Amino acid sequence: MRKRAIAASVLASMGILTVGWQVGMATTVTPTSSSGDTASGTAGSSGTSGSSMTSDTGSSSSTASTSALKDGTYTGTSEQTRFGDVQVQVTISGGKITDVAAVHLTDEGGRSVQISNYAAPILRKEVLASQSAKVSNVGGATYTTDGYLQSVQSALDQASS
Amino acid sequence: MTTQTAARAALPARDIRAPGIDRRRQYARRARMSDLLVTLLWGSGAAAVALYLAYGGMNDWNSVAGFITGVGIIAGLIGSDFVLVMLVLAARVPVIDRTIGHDRAVATHRRLGKPALYLLLAHGALLLIGYGASTGINPIAEIGPMLALPDMPLAFIGTALFILVVVTSLVAVRRRVSYEGWHLVHLLSYLAVIFALPHQFSDSGMLAVGTWQRVYWLALYVLAAGAIVFFRFLKPIIATLRHRITVAGVTVEAPGVVSIHLRGQRLRELRSQGGQFLIWRFWTGKTWWHSHPISLSAMPSDTTARITVRGLGAGSTRIGGIPAGTPVSIEGPYGIFSDVARTSPRLAIVAAGIGVTPVRALLENARIGPGEATILLRASDNDETYLWDELGEIAAAKGATLYTSVGRRASSGSAWLADHDVRRGVTLRSIFPRLATSDLYLCGPSSWLDVVEAEARALGVPEHQIHAERFDW
Repeated sequence: MRKRAIAASVLASMGILTVGWQVGMATTVTPTSSSGDTASGTAGSSGTSGSSMTSDTGSSSSTASTSALKDGTYTGTSEQTRFGDVQVQVTISGGKITDVAAVHLTDEGGRSVQISNYAAPILRKEVLASQSAKVSNVGGATYTTDGYLQSVQSALDQASS
Repeated sequence: MTTQTAARAALPARDIRAPGIDRRRQYARRARMSDLLVTLLWGSGAAAVALYLAYGGMNDWNSVAGFITGVGIIAGLIGSDFVLVMLVLAARVPVIDRTIGHDRAVATHRRLGKPALYLLLAHGALLLIGYGASTGINPIAEIGPMLALPDMPLAFIGTALFILVVVTSLVAVRRRVSYEGWHLVHLLSYLAVIFALPHQFSDSGMLAVGTWQRVYWLALYVLAAGAIVFFRFLKPIIATLRHRITVAGVTVEAPGVVSIHLRGQRLRELRSQGGQFLIWRFWTGKTWWHSHPISLSAMPSDTTARITVRGLGAGSTRIGGIPAGTPVSIEGPYGIFSDVARTSPRLAIVAAGIGVTPVRALLENARIGPGEATILLRASDNDETYLWDELGEIAAAKGATLYTSVGRRASSGSAWLADHDVRRGVTLRSIFPRLATSDLYLCGPSSWLDVVEAEARALGVPEHQIHAERFDW
């Protein structure tokens, strides 16, 4: 009888884990190390309750170049992640990105706030340095990075249109 | 060895089965339930990890820091799951008690203790390393920012309490501490769970509002807490108030052994099975803080019950002197040292010393056919033959065979028997020739019982046919 219990436990556990793993795979965020258009398709959907895509970033972002940016302040789309919404405001001056200000950062859970506070300055610096949303992922802050860069990209799209 | 009732020889073999009872089917049902419980135990751990994966936990594994953090989170999830399982196992839930018995529930609870603690410590350590690495500071320096997280100081205190609880339960430490002291410290584990709880919901974002993960964990916590509150606290209080048990009188059975006669109301509705025990507390100024797990030594009538005790612990000695009229509170009945655990067509019982008490009630209550049961009673001298005359009468009435073995323990052979019986060539097999198709019920002191159990195993008696009740208190 113990053998049967062990067999049942192993099978049940494997089954449960497989389901969890597959569901997880379906909602996996594509790593944003190369950023840009490919990442924007999936990040938002890994959130909680089937959040819909919030912007048109997917279609127009790939060709967005930073050369023809009109001056002004642009508010990016609010990106939903499972750790909270992320939204930024991008300031263009003299055709260049001069500032990125966070409107809202991941804040679901105390640790998310810490991560946001740590990752946002790094992301801001990298965006300013590269003058684009194509910067590398901040370790340990995947969701924040994704949302942040997508919001930046959508602001840049507005600036170049 | 003397035969008090020689009923078996006169009976044909086919008469052994009590009418209308299929022991094998009864056992198959219980075994299925037991397998289900084991599967639930491991399945709940798997579910904790599966939910973590389902909500994209693997996304964080793209860096070393993220991976360490992820493993740390999984350790915490499984650790919490184990702690909840331990709470449920200690809650004396009737379905668990009926299926695997109080002893095995407690043994499983004990076995999970250390792994649970190690997982929770790993959880803390790995998250300190992982969080620290993600922001480029060392794990020790990370303690600062970690404590700044909401509810985290509480979680640290909870961890310290868990360590204290497990350390005081280590065999080496446990021996030096009184039961009451240990129990008091052990109650801190409830506090530890309560302290550790908030940070799981407020910090991780794992259990965010609206996720199934949150629903699942909340349900687990409600289930475990509900089981504890209801079965460990409310039910005993209700039973105590309902049955209004008081001490009717104390009679001396032998030097150091007393029977406590109890009076109460609607005692049959306790539905105690013969062989089960209750946890008793006698409310006098000197005795109320000791609780005593003691078997009923006779089946209760609606208004009376009886327990028989030998003064082993400090508390047990003192309860010999309790006055009539003392109010008694109860928890239970618990355990499956009873008809419930039967698996096979025949019944073999071996009891030593005060271990005779549950056997006395078990036999009285057993639904057995003539010739089904064989009993061996063991005592080191004639003073130790408590309740033997009563057992003799019940055995005669039920058509059971009763053997006795009185005298000093043998030093070789079947060392659990009296020396002069072993010299005559008496063994477990000679007393119970049909052991292979019998349930073997053993009750007595641990050191003695281990020897009988070893002989039974050596004879090839399957584990599920051996039912042991160790009297150590």
